[in-house]
Parts: sequence; structure tokens; C-alpha cells
Amino acid sequence: MALNPPIDHAVDIEVPAKPPGWGAAVREFCRARPLGAVGAGIIVLMVVVALVAPLIARYDPVANDFGSMLAAPSQAHWLGTDAFGRDVLARLIYGSRTALLVGFGASLFGSTLGAVLGVASAYFGGRVDLYLQRVMDVFLSFPLIILALALVAILGNSIPNLVLAIMIPMVPRSALVIRSSALAIREMPYVDAARAAGFGHGRIILRHMLPNVMASYLIMLTAFLGQAILLESSLSFLGLGVQEPIPAWGLMLRGAAVEFAETAPWMAVFPGLAISLSVFAFNLFGDSLRDALDPRLRTQ
Amino acid sequence: MYKYLLKRFLLMLPTLFGVALVTFMLIRVIPGDVVELRYSGDRGAVSQEILDKERARIGLDQPVWKQFLTWILGVVRFDFGTSMWTGAPIWEEIKLRFALSFQLAIMATAVAVLLAVPLGVLAALKQDTWVDYGVRVFSIAGLAMPSFWLGIVLILVMLVVFKWLPPMVYTPFWQSPVQNMAQLIWPALAVGYRYSAIATRMTRSAMLEVLREDYIRTARAKGLMQKLILSRHALKNAMLPVVTVIALEFAFLIGGLVVTEQVFNLNGIGLLFVQAVAHRDYTLLQALIMLVAGSFIVVNFMMDVAYAWLDPRIRYR
Repeated sequence: MALNPPIDHAVDIEVPAKPPGWGAAVREFCRARPLGAVGAGIIVLMVVVALVAPLIARYDPVANDFGSMLAAPSQAHWLGTDAFGRDVLARLIYGSRTALLVGFGASLFGSTLGAVLGVASAYFGGRVDLYLQRVMDVFLSFPLIILALALVAILGNSIPNLVLAIMIPMVPRSALVIRSSALAIREMPYVDAARAAGFGHGRIILRHMLPNVMASYLIMLTAFLGQAILLESSLSFLGLGVQEPIPAWGLMLRGAAVEFAETAPWMAVFPGLAISLSVFAFNLFGDSLRDALDPRLRTQ
Repeated sequence: MYKYLLKRFLLMLPTLFGVALVTFMLIRVIPGDVVELRYSGDRGAVSQEILDKERARIGLDQPVWKQFLTWILGVVRFDFGTSMWTGAPIWEEIKLRFALSFQLAIMATAVAVLLAVPLGVLAALKQDTWVDYGVRVFSIAGLAMPSFWLGIVLILVMLVVFKWLPPMVYTPFWQSPVQNMAQLIWPALAVGYRYSAIATRMTRSAMLEVLREDYIRTARAKGLMQKLILSRHALKNAMLPVVTVIALEFAFLIGGLVVTEQVFNLNGIGLLFVQAVAHRDYTLLQALIMLVAGSFIVVNFMMDVAYAWLDPRIRYR
């Protein structure tokens, strides 16, 4: 199959078959929500940077170079160097991997587990719902960062543990939202039909109800992405998250960055900009996605 | 209505108990304890016997359920015991720092409200114009910027542009209000801006909803001035969800303070919390977490009461 037909053909034939099509949906989204498109653009850029990090970074992000400590931005080091002579730009580029890994990992697992719990809670109702809601209430009473902090102290701060610590506080928040949309789905005739057909609980929840709360799920997921990145950087800033020498944005703001803020402001300014820009992009995109997907907002 | 409130109140109790249980268990699972940490400087030099004696002194040798029982019986009498690290009563430890954090929280809330209400109303009135987009970008940016970084940048700007550094030593308000404000206004701005983002959005959407109501059209048909319609009819009704969000966020403000106090070198509740984690000071950690989670639950309940009181549709349910 060396001679694949050009992709265009495939699309041309496919499009009439399934009416709106992905391409058209994307174009429509960009036209109607320019801010969301800007957010999506930044996200795509970030993902690309993280993927090709070794190709575009001109320095090793963990290599100390005591000959050029705290060097100001220059031709050699575009964004300067830190207290160990490490290139700030290279660390920012590799740091995007940490941020995206923890961000996607935590929000994906967190919102998915929350969605399953939320749908199950709505589907079974009665006592299961009542007890599950009380447990969720308990976990909702802790601020995100305090719960994450305690969990990280328990689990230790490797990256998988960090994902877990950030994910767990998100579960009840996702479950709460998904449950309320699932309550409406439960009353739909097709759920009754599935039950009448003798399908098991698992199948009804996973195959019939979960796909229909996708809109709320995607809204939660994008909202969590920004929060997870922010949380990871806060924990790393406190010294309880990612550990040296792994490049991470929050970690770059810790210690020397504050101490030498006056003489070497590039160390403090750029990592913060990277965090802000990426969280901003995810929030912008998530906001527009919510406007586009939430039927309540759509009809207005 | 009383039945509804009673039900809400009774539902609050198991949640509070659950919070206490989760807090207690969570902390005990953290590896290492306060005794081990205190003697870790001369590890090996200290015999197991001394460690055991020390554990027995602060009650860590008891079975976990017994420790929990002792603690929870204290908590219901608002007695949180003594700090395992310093040995001082928990109330003393918290009282020392509470004034600072509480003042910071109030100032941050004031900043948030002063930003959120006008901006939210403006965005709602100019829906889908560049003003609306501008407000949205401003508030999303507030959510995106880590408050600790905003703090660093604020200090940096003052240092570079004004050649001035905010005082780094805390002065109580009643001793020198100017000195006190000069120090606390910056962390309040950093925390308040972030906090305002959520309230701005809430104000905007609540205003949009209210402006579509029939009574606004009636007010307009009566020929009422736009200013009066906005302040007397629209804003008053739109404020309920906004106040809720602000009250709930207020209870969670300590979360934001944990990192911000670190940057501004403020010895408040947030810093105390981070230190308590580092020292494995179980009793102090339990008290702090209970304080935050408990105040969240109580504020939540009070909001429900306020709603029921203010909104007849809920009252007669």
C-alpha cells in the first residue's frame, strides 16, 4: 500500500455520509468562538513543543554549567540561565512535558473516575446515591490544594504519585456535575429500553448513559486541565511536587528564583509566564467549549 | 421550611464527622511521625527506648481508634489539644497567626468584590462586544496566573519601577495602620485578583439571567431610569448567587494563602499549615484542616439558610 490515495479524497467521500464532519465542526467553532480558537491554538503549540522538545531545545535542561551562572538573556541563552547555569528556555521546553503529563494524566483519570461514579450514583439512586453523595460531600469540603498536599505527603512525590494526588480531589467535583446531568438521562426511554432488554447494570452505565453525558464530561475535563497544571506548579513551588533536577515550571520559581529576583528577574518571570499562558489557553478553550456544548446556554 | 432546614442541619453532622475521620486517617498514613523527625538530626544515636517514651508521652503509642476517640471528644468541646511539635496549645498557635491571615482574607475578598461586581455588570450589559471579551480575558487570566507568581512579579515591579520594597516584618493593624497596609495590600491584590475571576463570571451570568426577567421589562416600561433599574431591580436580585460564591470561596481562601504567604514571607495560617506538614505535627494539622473544612461546611449550611430565608420559592418547598 505504498500508493495511498490522497487524504482529501477520503474526506470528500466521507463528509456527506456523516453530516457535520469534524473539519466543519472545527471551522464552525473557530468562527463562532475566536477566543476558544486562540486557546486551542496555544494548546496545540504546547503539545507540539513538548513532543519535539529534544529537537528544539539547544541545551540539556539538567546540565549544570557553572561558567555561566545567572547569565542574562543573550544570543547564547535566549531567556538567560538559572543559579546552576542551566538554560531557562531549555528547562521551559522540557517543563512543558511535565506540565502536560501531570495535567492530562490527573484530569483525564480524575474526570473519568468521577464520571463513572456520578453516572452510577444517578443510575442506582436510592441508598447508593445517598451514601455516595455523603462521601463526596466530605471530600468536597477540603480545598483542592490542601487535599493534594496531604496526599502528596502520604504518597511521596514521584510523577505518578503526583498525578494521583492531584486526581483524587477532582473525582468528587466531577462526580457532582456528571451526576446532575445523568439524573436527566436516567429518565430517558432508551435507558428503560436497555433495562427491558435485560442488559446488566455495567453495560447500561457504560454503553448507554456515559456517552450521553459526554458534553458535561468534556467541560469538566478541560476545566480540570488548567487546574491540574496550576496545582502541580503550586505543589512544586512549595517543594512538595516535582523534585530537582526534573524540569518543572513551578519548581523553577522556587528558591533561587525568588532570592535573585532583583538581579536575575528572568528566572522568576518566564516560568510564571509559561504557567499562566498554558492555564490561560486551557481555560479559554474550556470556556468556549462549554458555551458550545452546554445545551442550556445554546438555546439562549 | 423548618423541616427543610432541620434536614439540612442533620445532613451536616455526618459530613463533619466524615471530614474528621478522613482528616485523622489521612494524616496518620503520612510516612514518619513527629518523634522520628525531631530526633532525625541524630539518627542512630537515640535509642528505641527514648523514642518509645516520647511517643508514649504525646499519646502516639495508643491504638489508632483510641487516639481518634480522644481527639474527637476534644473537638466537640472545641479543645484541639496541644501541638506535638512545640507543645503549646493549638489555640495559642493558631491565634498568633489568625489575625494576619484573617485580615488578609478580608482584604482579598474586598479586592475581589470591588473588581468583580462592576466588571461583571459591565460585561453583562455589553454582552458579546469587545468589552465583554475584554472582561472575560481579564478574569480568565486571573484564574490562570498562580497567585504566588503574581506576588513575585508585584514585588519585582515595585522594586524595579519604584525602587521600593514592601515591609517584610508584620506590624499589627492597630499599631501602625499604614505600615500594616503597605505590607498586606500586595498579597491581598495577588489573592484577590484570582478570587475575583470566579465572582466576575458569576456576576455576569446572574445579571444576564435577571436582565431577561419580566420585572425588568416592567420597570423599563414604567419609564424608570436605567441606573435605577440596574441598582434597585437587577443587581439586587443578581447578587444572591454572587454572595454565595464569595462566601464559599472565603472559607477556602486558606488554600490560596498556603502559597502566597510563602512568597510574601508572612507568618500566617497558610505557612503554619506547610510547617505542620513538614513536622508531621498531627494535632496541629488535624486542627487546621478541621477548621477549614468545618468552616466550609458551616458556611455552606448558612448559605442554604439564607437562601431559604430570602427566596420564597425555596421556603415553601
